[in-house]
This record gives sequence, structure tokens and C-alpha cells, in this order.
Amino acid sequence: MITAERKPLEEIIDYVKPFKRILLLGCNECVTVCAAGGRKEVGLLASGLQMAMLKAGSSIEIREHTLERQCDPEYVEELVPMIDGADAILSMACGCGVQQLAMRFKDKPVFPAVNTKFMGGSQRQGVWDERCQGCGDCLLGITGGICPIARCAKQLMNGPCGGSCDGKCEIGEDVECAWHLIWERLKALGLQDRYLEIMPAKDWRPAGGAGPRKIIREDLAE
Amino acid sequence: MQNTNLSQTSNRVLIVGGGLAGIRAALDLAEAQKDVILVDTAENIGGLMTQLDRTFPTNNCDLCTLAPNLSESGRQEHITLMPMTTLREVTGEQGDFIVTLETAPRYINLERCTGCGECFQAFPECVRFTPGLDHRAPTCMRYPQATPQAFSIDLATCADIEALVKVCPAGAIVPDDIGSKGNVACGAIVLAPGASLFDPSGLDNLGYGELPDVVTSLEYERILSASGPTGGRLLRPSNGQPPKKVAWIQCIGSRGLQKGAAPYCSGACCMFALKEAIVTRERFQEDTETTIFYMDMRTFGKDYELYYQRAKNEFGVRFIHSRPHSILRPEGAENLHLSYTTDDSPVLINEDFDMVVLATGFRIGEEARQLAAVCGIELNDDHFPIHTGLNQVATSRPGIYVAGTFQAPKDIPETMVQASAAACLAGHDVSSPDREQEIPEPLPPERHLVGEEPRVGIFVCDCGENIGGVIDVEALVARVGALPHVTVAQAAGHGCSRESMEHIRATIEQQGINRVVIGGCSPRTHEAKFQDLLRRAGLNKYLLEFANIRDQATWVHSHQPEKATKKAEELIRMALGAVLNAQPLAEHRLPINKNVLVIGGGVSGMTAALELAEQGLKVYLVERNAQLGGLASRIHRTLEGDDVQGFVADLVARTSTHDNIDVITSAIIVDHGGMPGLFKTGMQVGKQLFYRQIEHGITILATGAMPHRPDLFLLGRHEDVKTQLETQQLLEERPELVRDWENVVMIQCVGSRTEDNPNCSRICCQTAVKNALRILEINPEARVFVLYRDMRTYAFQEEYYQQARAKGVIFVRYHQDRPPQVSEVGGKLEVVYQDIILGREVQVSTDCLCLSTGLIAEQDNTEELAMIFKLPRTHDGYFLEDHIKLRPVDLPVPGFFVAGTAHAPKTIAESLVQARAVAARAQTMLASDYISLGAATARVDSKLCAACLICVRACPFGVPFINADGYSEIDPARCHGCGVCASECPAKAIQLMQFEDDRILSKLEQLFEEVEG
Amino acid sequence: MESFEPVIVAFCCHYCAYTAADMAGSQRLPYPSNVKIVRVPCSGKVDALHILKAFEKGADGVYVAGCLEGDCHFKNGNDKAARRVDYVKRYLEEIGIESERLMMVRMSAGMGARFAQVATEMTEKIRRLGPSPIKAAAA
Repeated sequence: MITAERKPLEEIIDYVKPFKRILLLGCNECVTVCAAGGRKEVGLLASGLQMAMLKAGSSIEIREHTLERQCDPEYVEELVPMIDGADAILSMACGCGVQQLAMRFKDKPVFPAVNTKFMGGSQRQGVWDERCQGCGDCLLGITGGICPIARCAKQLMNGPCGGSCDGKCEIGEDVECAWHLIWERLKALGLQDRYLEIMPAKDWRPAGGAGPRKIIREDLAE
Repeated sequence: MQNTNLSQTSNRVLIVGGGLAGIRAALDLAEAQKDVILVDTAENIGGLMTQLDRTFPTNNCDLCTLAPNLSESGRQEHITLMPMTTLREVTGEQGDFIVTLETAPRYINLERCTGCGECFQAFPECVRFTPGLDHRAPTCMRYPQATPQAFSIDLATCADIEALVKVCPAGAIVPDDIGSKGNVACGAIVLAPGASLFDPSGLDNLGYGELPDVVTSLEYERILSASGPTGGRLLRPSNGQPPKKVAWIQCIGSRGLQKGAAPYCSGACCMFALKEAIVTRERFQEDTETTIFYMDMRTFGKDYELYYQRAKNEFGVRFIHSRPHSILRPEGAENLHLSYTTDDSPVLINEDFDMVVLATGFRIGEEARQLAAVCGIELNDDHFPIHTGLNQVATSRPGIYVAGTFQAPKDIPETMVQASAAACLAGHDVSSPDREQEIPEPLPPERHLVGEEPRVGIFVCDCGENIGGVIDVEALVARVGALPHVTVAQAAGHGCSRESMEHIRATIEQQGINRVVIGGCSPRTHEAKFQDLLRRAGLNKYLLEFANIRDQATWVHSHQPEKATKKAEELIRMALGAVLNAQPLAEHRLPINKNVLVIGGGVSGMTAALELAEQGLKVYLVERNAQLGGLASRIHRTLEGDDVQGFVADLVARTSTHDNIDVITSAIIVDHGGMPGLFKTGMQVGKQLFYRQIEHGITILATGAMPHRPDLFLLGRHEDVKTQLETQQLLEERPELVRDWENVVMIQCVGSRTEDNPNCSRICCQTAVKNALRILEINPEARVFVLYRDMRTYAFQEEYYQQARAKGVIFVRYHQDRPPQVSEVGGKLEVVYQDIILGREVQVSTDCLCLSTGLIAEQDNTEELAMIFKLPRTHDGYFLEDHIKLRPVDLPVPGFFVAGTAHAPKTIAESLVQARAVAARAQTMLASDYISLGAATARVDSKLCAACLICVRACPFGVPFINADGYSEIDPARCHGCGVCASECPAKAIQLMQFEDDRILSKLEQLFEEVEG
Repeated sequence: MESFEPVIVAFCCHYCAYTAADMAGSQRLPYPSNVKIVRVPCSGKVDALHILKAFEKGADGVYVAGCLEGDCHFKNGNDKAARRVDYVKRYLEEIGIESERLMMVRMSAGMGARFAQVATEMTEKIRRLGPSPIKAAAA
């Protein structure tokens, strides 16, 4: 899933300050699951914003709504009846959602209320770790299911580096060395040979180095 | 006289006496699906308690706590209520009695009478009224919540019967009523006629009857009562002025040394006087002085000592250890004159008081004695029934049981416990009626509210003075009545009374009310009752909200009536906001597991186990030690001379061989889960700590207490210093040692009634008397000194105390701040104490120093069990019952009960009573085949659910799961209703029923409505 | 500001604080009438949103009263509540509301005196802090 975190209230206030009527939009997908932009967070932000604005001496009208998915145009279409009542849109979805809105409602300012962080998975209640950077050329098949691009601070293709110590990365005690994990995993699978193969330098073109990426499924696309 | 023979099946219990004990026993039996006939000679049931204003130690309003019980008993399908009825004859035997019941003419058809009071308005002279302090107009119903809710006519005083008959709009007056008489078969009889109170008018020295300001404690109670003669104002009967100084004189007619007095202690009067003094200080301001003249303050019940300390330290009640001889009013004087001496000086002190209250004790009246004669049961010299062995509720005639103050003097909690115990034993003599078809109470179908606008009914109780005495209920009603969606707003008087409930029900039906707000007391105690009312009125029971304006406003802001009023209004508005968002809910049921887990293999645990096993229930008896028996196995005999060793041995034998009892020794409880009716408890058993899990429906805690051994008075440092328990063992096992003793000193309250352990251990005074008498039996030459603070030999124990004094045991009082000094001189023990009467120190060289160390709760053990079972404890580690008066053996977690010294220190016989009470209470729960789970469970809106798993991870019980359709599902039967999932759900897809977000938020909205405006 | 009477919302767990409030009632232990109780089945049921809404509507102070440590009727709802209260306190600071206006307290069902004491102390504290900045701004 795509993870996100609410922006500092101050930054959000700066965005919406000039406007009177705000449409605050949540998304019932990834940002709900990572407790950043679901119905509940929408409620919390609306209430916090109301109070902060009131305290700053201005008032604001906030309409709360949560879409099933902000990154699909059909869901976004739901907003048509309510869009005229808003001077600006504040989205709690990831960057994809925000842009979908900006594309659809060309004359409305759209602001993000969250910082989109990474593609990750949950460790336990309330904890999410980065797992994927969408490099476009998945290596997990040869790295024992552990991604050196997303999980190695240096994105090394042949690790670990000298900063690996007792399985931890030199950047922080709580960061595990991806290459240490890869080695342990390959060993457990009896695939140590694979580790000895030198991997060539990463081709970053599929990772976005060659410009914005696009997927077209010919059988589906009209 | 009509002949009304009821059907001849003996499958029912006859209960004589409709006071608290009779009602409790009737309810317990009825809830256990047994049939009951409840007879009382009075016009209405209720007994003595209905005349009390408040009860100790919570100072609650009695009507309020009793009324739900009374109406309940009127309603139960298993109870046949026969007021104005006397038991005339008993023949037959246990399981098969034939009794003759005679009902006096009431001249009123109970089915027609609505209790409207028209007859009373027109012919006040024709009504029977309760004697007492009632110097206002007599009322024919003894109290406002009377059951049955009907009048009775005294035809002899009526001059114009025809006119009287006509005045009744319901046509309920029947002048040709001739009463009825008939025979009834029954399997067991419970006698609970109560006791009378001593009449002090025969004592010329107290001036009772001549001096209007000398009243008995019950009369003083009526003066304090909101429904009493002065409407709750404290006024002197002589001049109608508020008294400035009130004195209580204790032990009037009790403890045997004055004219006409009974030899026993009446047990409850000390607490009664304390309560009246506290209420006086609390309600009638600080400027009323209160003084209690006492012989010994006997506050031996659970936490009663703390109440005594509060009276002294917080409320400034003055205590004088003295017994004024007479009450005089000098010629022309207004005040009452008392002369007395104190501990500090032999000089006579003269002091005037405005009122003197005589703490009159219990007596067995003529009526109760006749009842005993009719039943053929033996009475002791004081006319109380003789019980068999250690079983206080069994009389000399099998199948006839006693409970309450007729058994022995006692207070309300003990009465309640005893009533349940009597119900347990009587219930065993009958089987549940095998009805062809259970006919449930016909309930109207639930109204469908779809499309209906909210029509809210707000009913505000005055709860007597509790609410009405602080705020203007009518004015409040007028204001909340103007709020949107409110169809009806009314003052409901005592809302929980039968009359008011009926009125509310009728109002709901007539006005098409579809949501109800009760402004009154706590939903914790009364929600179920009003939910039931809604259901009977054809509404779903969850369309109800409580505004607790009593506990949260009038009781705690009574000094600021305007603020209390404002807050009461706010609380009602909040409830209104919430009820507008209420929705009808359905309940869930599950089959109950009828097995019983008893923890603790002492006398209480074994007795409870045997009583339940005899009823065919499977019992697991878990004991921490390797053997059954508990503390009682170290005791040889009781004060009364019963053989405890033989008793315990017999109990152990019966318990270990009973087919339905699985005894598990050397077992420690380690985990617990489930819900009432479906518990699972895990334990580690034996040396190998083998894990075993038991499935059961209820849990009984009988874990006992342990002998206290404080490091005081050389205990454990000198071999001649012993606890009373050790002394007792020595007396029985090595009597030859005792023959050489010259002096024995006993010190009371060692490690009890102190800063660290403020409560009284209850058993020590009688143990000291027991051991002192035994020492003199073995060695009549010995000199026994008992150094005490207050001798607390309550009820019949007092007679042994008197016997000990007569035999030469020297009882010497000591002050807490001047305790005896103990030292070792040349290997021998020397005790030095201050003799208050001699006014000097006395030194005694003693062969044995017996310390009355009492009992304490076993902290580690009870703490662990409390953690595992989530049960509250008192500050000193005993398990805390759900309600000290009304539910004394029920613990606050449903399905849990407590018996014996795990509850508080008590004697063996008292523990047995409690064990049987627990068995009765357990049977009320196990009589049903299903448990109702309520409807306050979490619900998922699948359309909103993001299947994020947050609820799955948050639930403390692992209930939610993502179902095959890909959204969270919560099994209502397993949901505990905590609402954690609802508050963590990021999609707001979960709502906890009854506590939905919009319900909580509209409370907040309503609260701040006015603040803003 | 001479007679500022704060409005304080107390979310009380049914099993402890609500019962303690009843206890305070039956013992007639006075406390300021400023405290208004909202009953919840467990302190863990108190949503961050409920706390925020209370402030938004005009509360000068809010407290969540749950069971003593290890005493939660539902295992650990009280600990969850405590963490949530800490989280909301930080958010309140972001909004510009003093976080002292929100508090987590723990008590057992038998602690009537503690209920009255907490209510009194909280009222005094909020009185010292003055009206909530939100209410002040709205006025």
C-alpha cells in the first residue's frame, strides 16, 4: 500500500487560509489502512482546522467527504454535485489522488493534506515499513525476496557495504541491513551461490529515469 | 368466612413475613423457578425497612433501594402475595406440610383498587394507619411505594358505609368482605416475621411517652424521613423548632442490666445511631450538635469501623463512654437534662439537650411467639428460635427455616444473606413446578418506528428529598418540556415506584412516546428496570437514556442548588440529545454452562459446593492446599460449644465423596476468560503444575482470610505469647499446661482497628470470651484479664460475655493511645496497663499472653485472583460485593459470588449462612437455560469498511475477522462491548451499539448549546 | 475573568470512574458542578474525535477517566486510552490549545473520594488556565 502521514497543521493552514469553503476529501484505500487519510482522519483534521482557524480569528466552512478511491476518475466524479460549494479542495489521499482531483476540477485549487511517504507494509498495529520504490524492474527473485533498492540506504546492487554491523545499517540502530537480511535468507534457502554472482549496475530508466511511466493494457484499453 | 383451599401440590414454599428477609427469600426462590406464597399480617409488604430514612454505611435512601425489590416481588409470576394473612396451623412434615392461612377482610377488592386515595380524602377516619410519630394526617398506605398498591378500610370506624362505597370511583370497596381461610400444601416454610422494637415507655427514668422530645431511634428516623411526619425537616416534637443538641443513649432494653432489658445485644443499634448522627450533621448543618452515649461501640461489620471513624473525625459526632441514668425535664424548662460521668473524671457532669434518642433494641413480640408455637419450633429464653448445630437458619423442626431479625438481632446485609440462605435450604425441599407450558408475561409487540418523528417523554424523579429537596423538579420539567421533540415532560415522584412506573407506561402508550429520558438516579442500578418498563409499553428497551441528576448533581452539589439545577438541566438535555439518536436493538442469547467453580476448600467453599451438588449441579472445588478444611480445621469448638473438628471432618468426607463434586487440590488459578454463563478458568495442579482448564457458568470465591500475626507484644519472640487461635489449640490439646497457670492476660484489637488495619476483625471478642471461659473450666483458680477497647460480643454472644464476668474474668478497658505495655522480666511476661476506673497503672505477671490478632485478607492471593477475575477489593484486600445491602454476596462481575471470610471476617456459622446464600443466588442464575448477552455490541458497516485489520488487531478478545466477502465481521455473541474497535477504526465503519458516535456527539452538542447561547 | 466557570467534559468508564462518581454521590462528597460526565463502556471507547469535538463545541477542559493499571474490564482499553490521550495532546498543541486542558486519569470503582478530588483539581486547573482559546475566539 501507499503510506502517508498528515502534514503539520501549520502548513495546511497556510494553504487553506485564503479560502472560505473547503472540501476536505478522504480516501478509503491505502491512506485509510495506514490511518492517515480515512474518514476518521478527515474528521480529526476538520475539527482541528476549524479550531485553529477560529483561534486565528477567521472562520472556515469545511465539508467532509471520503471517496472509495481518489485515484480513479469514476469515483472522483461523485464530487461534481458538491464541487461548486467549495472554494478549494484539501485532499488527504496520496499524491495520485490529489493529482486526479486537480486534473478533473481545473478551476479549483487542490492542496495535499498528507505527505505521501512510500510503498510499504504494516509490521504491527500502527507501524509501517518501506518495502518498494517501484523501480520497474523487480529484483526480488534473485535477492531472496528482500529488496535492496527500497531497503538499502545506498541502494547497493552488491552489498553489504562496510557500514553493516551486526545486521544493522550504519544510518541507524533500528534500520536493518538489507544485504545482511538477503544473505541470511539465501543461506536459509540454500542459495548462497546466487550471492556470489555479481549483479550489474542498475538500469534506472524503468525506474523513472526515462521520464514518467505509463502502463497500457492493450486488451483492456479502449 | 370463605374457604379458599389452594391446589394441593406441596411444590411450593410458604414464607411468613413480607419484610426484607421475606421478600429476598421469595425473590431468590422465584428466580430459581420455585413457587412461593408470601404472607404478611400487614396490609402491605415491606416490613421495618420501609420506615427507615437512609441506611448505613452508604446513607442511601432506603425507599430507593428497596422499591425496585418490592415491585419486582409483586410482579414475579412465581410469587403469590397474601397480605393481611395469618398462619394458623401447620401439620405434616418436611416436604409435605399442610398449613392453614387466614386472611382478614380488607373490604377492598385488590384487583380493582388503583390506590387513588379518594376514599381517604372523604373518610380519613376509616383508614388503618401505621402508628408512630405520625402526628399529621394518617395515611392508609404505609409508604408511597406500597405493594400491593391498595388501601384498606377499618369498617368499624365508618359511620356511613354506603357513602364510603360510593366514593370509590373504581368500585373497589366491598363492605361485605368476610375474609377467607383455607389450607395450603407446601414443602417448606421460611419464617421471617421480623422482630419488634423494645418499648421504653415502661421505664420511668427515661421519660419516654411523657417528654415529647424523648424519641426512639425509629421515631427519629421517621422525623428525618422525607415521607415522615415533618416532611423531612428535623423539628422537635415539643415545640416544632429545630434542635441544637441531640443525644443518643445506646442499649435501651438491651444488654441486660437495667429494668426490663433483654440480656442480648441488639447488634444493629450502634450503627443505627451513628447513621442518624451523621445524617443529622450532614443534612441539618453543622450547628446541630450530636452526642452518642455508649457502653461499647459495636461497629463490627464490614468497613463499619471506618464509618465510626468518619462519624468521629469528619462529622464531629461526640462520643461519650457513659450511660446516663435518667432523662429529666425540670419544671418549666424546655430542655432535657442528663447527668453522667466520663472516663476522665469521677465528677458528675450535667448537660442539657434538645432531644434525646433512645436506641431501642430488638424484641420478639407476642405475634412472632405465637407463630413459633403454631409452627412447633423451639425458642430460647429470649424467644428467638433455637437453631440446629452450626446452621443458623434451620429450626428445631425439619423443613422450617428462619431468616432476619426473628432468627437473632442483626442488620440489613446480614438479613439479606440469611434470607438467601433460607431460600437455598427451603428450595431443596421442593422441586421446580413442572408447568405444562410456561406462560411468559404477555408483552405487547414492539412498535415499529420507521418513519416516525421522535416523540420524547422526559420523566424526572424527585427521589423524595434526594432530588426534590435540592432542586425544583416542576420548574426543571417545565424548561426541558419546551425543548424540541419533547412530547411529554413530567415530574415522576419516586420514578421507580410501582405507581410511577405504571403512570409512565400509560403515558408512553397514550401519548405515542417513542423515546424516553429518565432524569433520576444511576443507570447502573435502575436502567434494567426502566428498560423493562419500555418493553412493557411496547417500545424497544434501548430507546432509553438516563440523566443521573441525583448522583451527579443533587447529591454532590446540594450546597449550591442553582448550580445543581443548571447541571441537572444540562444532563437531561444531554440525555435528550442522545436518545434522539437511539435506535432499536435486538439481544442475543446463548445456552448457559451450568457447571460451578468453587475456589477455596474451607467450610464456606465446601458448604456452597455441597448445596449446589445436591441440586444436581456439577461442581469443581479448587483448593490451593493439599487438603480440604481451611482455617476451621484448626478450631476445636465454637463459643456456643459446637464441635468444629467433627463438623469439618464430616464436611470433608461428604465433599470428597460426592458424585457431583470434583475436588481439585494443590491447584492455583492462572487464567480466566469468557463471559457469565460461559467461563473458562485455567489452573496449575499438583507439584508438576499440570495445566487444566475448566468450563463453568458461575464462579464462587470462598478463598478465606488468614490469621493475622503482627509483630507486636513480643509475638513470635517469647514462647508464652500466643494468638487466640494458638491458645485455643493449646486449651484443647494440652489442657494439663493450663492447670498451672495463675494469671492469663488477653489483649484485644492487636493489629486491628489501627492505622494500618483500620477495620474490626469481628471474631476476636467472642473468641477471647470463649477461651477465657474454657481456661476457667480447666483451671477455675486462674485469673483471666481481658484488656479491650470495646467488647463487641454482639447478639447472643453478649450472654457469654456476661457469664465470663460473673465467673470472675476481669475485663479492663484501654484507650488506643495508651495501650498495655508488655515486657519480659526474668523470662516471665509482665503486662502493665492503665486502669481507667482506678485511675492508675496495674502490673500483672502473666503465664500466658493471648493476643486477639484477628484475621486479615491474604494480600498476595486475593490480589492475584482479583487481577485474573477483574474483581474489585476493599482497601484492606477483601472482595468487594456489588451492593453492600441489596446484593451482599454477589460480586460486581456478573456470575461471581463471594462467601465466608473472603468477604470479611466472620464466624463459622456466619460463613455457612453466606455459603448457602451464595448457593441460592447461584441457582437463580443457573435456573435459566440461556444467558442474554445484551445488545451493546460492535457492528460493522461493510460498505464503509476498508478491511484494514486495525479492528482485528485492536480487539482485546480477538473477535473481529475479515470475512470471505472481504470486510470485517464481529460476532455479536462473542463481542464484549468495550468499543475499542469502534474508536480505532480509521474508516469509521464500526459503531458500538448504545454508544454510537452520533449519540455521544449529540450529548456534547446539547451540553454546549446553552453555553454558547 | 472574575467569575469564569469552565465547562469540563469527563468521559468516564462505566466500570470504574462512572461507578466512583456514583460512590461520590452516595457519600455526598461535593465537587464543582463544572464537570459533566459522559458514560462510556470503557475508556478505550473514547475516540480522539470525541475529545476534539468536545473542545470544538466549547469545552474548557476534558478528561478521560479509566481503570487503574491492569484493572481494565476489557484487558487493556485503559492503556489504549492513555496513548490516545497523549496523541491528542500533541495535536491540541498544534491547533493552539494548551495540552494541559486534556488529561487521562485512572481510578477504581471504589474511589468516590478520588473522583471528587480529580473533579475539583481539574476544575481548579482549568480555572487558572482561563477559558479555552477556542471559546474565547468564538465569543
